[in-house]
Amino acid sequence: MAAAAGEPKKIIIDTDPGIDDAMAIFVALRSPEVEVIGLTTIYGNVYTTLATRNALHLLEVADRTDIPVAEGSHVTITEGRKLRIADFVHGADGLGNQNFPPPEGKPIDMSATDFLVEQANLYPGKVTVVALGPLTNIALAIQQDPSFVKNIGQIVLLGGAFAVNGNVNPAAEANIFGDPDAADIVFTSGADVLAVGINVTHQVILTDSDRETLASSNGKFAQYLLKILEVYFNYHHDAYSTKGVYLHDPTAMLAAINPSLITYVEGAVRVQTNGITRGLTLLYNKQKRFAEITEWSDQPSVKVAVTVDAPAVLKLVLERLME
Amino acid sequence: MDCEMEKNSHDGVVVNGGNDGVLGLNAKRKMLIIDTDPGIDDSMAILMAFQNPEVDILGLTTVFGNVRTEDATRNALLLCEIAGCPSVPVVEGSHEPLTGGRPRVADFVHGSDGMGNIFLPPPKTEKSDKSASEFLVEKVSQYPGEVSILALGPLTNVALAIKRDSSFPSKVKKIVVLGGSFFALGNVNPAAEANIYGDPEAADVVFTSGANIVVVGINITTQVQMTDDDLLKLKQSNGKHAQLLSDMCKFYRDWHVKSDGVSGIFLHDPVSFVALVRPDLFTYKKGVVRVETQGICVGHTLLDQGLKKWNGSNPWTSYSPVSVAWTVDVDEVLNYVKRMLMKP
Repeated sequence: MAAAAGEPKKIIIDTDPGIDDAMAIFVALRSPEVEVIGLTTIYGNVYTTLATRNALHLLEVADRTDIPVAEGSHVTITEGRKLRIADFVHGADGLGNQNFPPPEGKPIDMSATDFLVEQANLYPGKVTVVALGPLTNIALAIQQDPSFVKNIGQIVLLGGAFAVNGNVNPAAEANIFGDPDAADIVFTSGADVLAVGINVTHQVILTDSDRETLASSNGKFAQYLLKILEVYFNYHHDAYSTKGVYLHDPTAMLAAINPSLITYVEGAVRVQTNGITRGLTLLYNKQKRFAEITEWSDQPSVKVAVTVDAPAVLKLVLERLME
Repeated sequence: MDCEMEKNSHDGVVVNGGNDGVLGLNAKRKMLIIDTDPGIDDSMAILMAFQNPEVDILGLTTVFGNVRTEDATRNALLLCEIAGCPSVPVVEGSHEPLTGGRPRVADFVHGSDGMGNIFLPPPKTEKSDKSASEFLVEKVSQYPGEVSILALGPLTNVALAIKRDSSFPSKVKKIVVLGGSFFALGNVNPAAEANIYGDPEAADVVFTSGANIVVVGINITTQVQMTDDDLLKLKQSNGKHAQLLSDMCKFYRDWHVKSDGVSGIFLHDPVSFVALVRPDLFTYKKGVVRVETQGICVGHTLLDQGLKKWNGSNPWTSYSPVSVAWTVDVDEVLNYVKRMLMKP
């Protein structure tokens, strides 16, 4: 992929690091097409406090302490405090149980929501949010500033399971399940949204032999990731009987960096917020005409990824992490 | 089925001299109850079933859906008469879903009479005195392991039978359900298919009952279409009920053009009947199916494909799997339907 012509795209990464979040952040930092102007944190793979700590730590590992970290919400948009935390996927510390020393830096004195609104206003139409966790911060930004949906360039989100089973349960994918109400706000906001669901990211697998390729690099990111990936591989082996791991967050990140790696369809997406299918994402492509008004009628369209050039994504991930 | 030979034959009274050949034939015939809301495609499926010598129809039970239950009963009686089997019992079912309330009726698809606004004169025969769930329990208990149910409407009657008799799921041979939309759009709204949407609570009771269940969703049935050309051929055929069905199908066909941009008709109910008599024309995915009963996705059917080992329990764990039709041999099913409908 050639470097983007002109100015790099400004991105804010909303993240709950997380092993694949760490990969995605490193890929972004090594991608000349984008300029990471901030990280905002959220619960999901870990609690928000730990997500902030891990975000600061990862920027220190990358020698990019110039990038601000803004801490996000500790609760769901409906003030829910019973959060689902995927420590069994990412380790108790979110980074493969490596117990890294605490970071020296601190988050900025501004909430994630305030930071998102501020940056969108500062660079109208120029900032892409890459949302790798539950969508609470983004939904709060939409509620706080009615012009946010216009000012934000694009929201690329990792979330949902479109016409496939979820990964939390048969109905729901983890990020959407984490805050379904927030997700429904984002999908129906009218913003330029590109959703990359697990129907797409499950096609992008880093195998055992790819891990060996990664190990052949002396690059600092490759060496760091090798340490934290063990827990992630073990989880995938147990849960999916695969000898490889899904590259959820790096795939969403690369879709933001280079949209030509995916194809998408457009339509209205709604999220089920209660019942046994809470967190279900349902896309209506606006083709069939229903006799009655539905909950999808008159909702703005979003983009939903349907195919991915998986070999190209994998190649880019490895290249950029091994440099 | 042959109604003359049918009389009393499943009560052990052997007709036609009682030779082994006849017994052998009877043994092979599938005892069937059709739970139905006729309905244009229901009518096609029912007349196909009556034309099939391998099927022994014990009765029709009625439910709301395409029409109100009272109209479904009238239409079921008419269909038995038209098929030349006026003695087959028609048993009226529930007038409303399990949780009450006025049922949704799809008259815009099937016409106000449920038969494409052809307004046939009323039937001469009368419905049974029983309730549908009573009849279902009675027949399934009388012939344990032998009676199949083809459920073509909302699942209220079947759920009531399960609630009435806890041994019903183990005694019924098989329940073939036309319902749901698996990993595909619904037809009432993007989340829900009409039969399941008609009574989501009942559907969840049935799917989680442990009975031997085959579900044919609209993700399968919408693949099998009769085009305008097929409908013309049906009209020109000397099929026993070809003229009637051609007349009924006009209204149904026009709705498909408006709703789906299809110049023809979907064969939802006939395809489900084929799944009963020719299960080999389909492949299946086995897994637990649950139905959403709340929120914007009420009526959504969700199958756990079993691709992942879940961390802890969820609403799908610990229920018995059902068979969800996964692929269909479109050409063979369509040929089968056409052959049955064009049979003199």
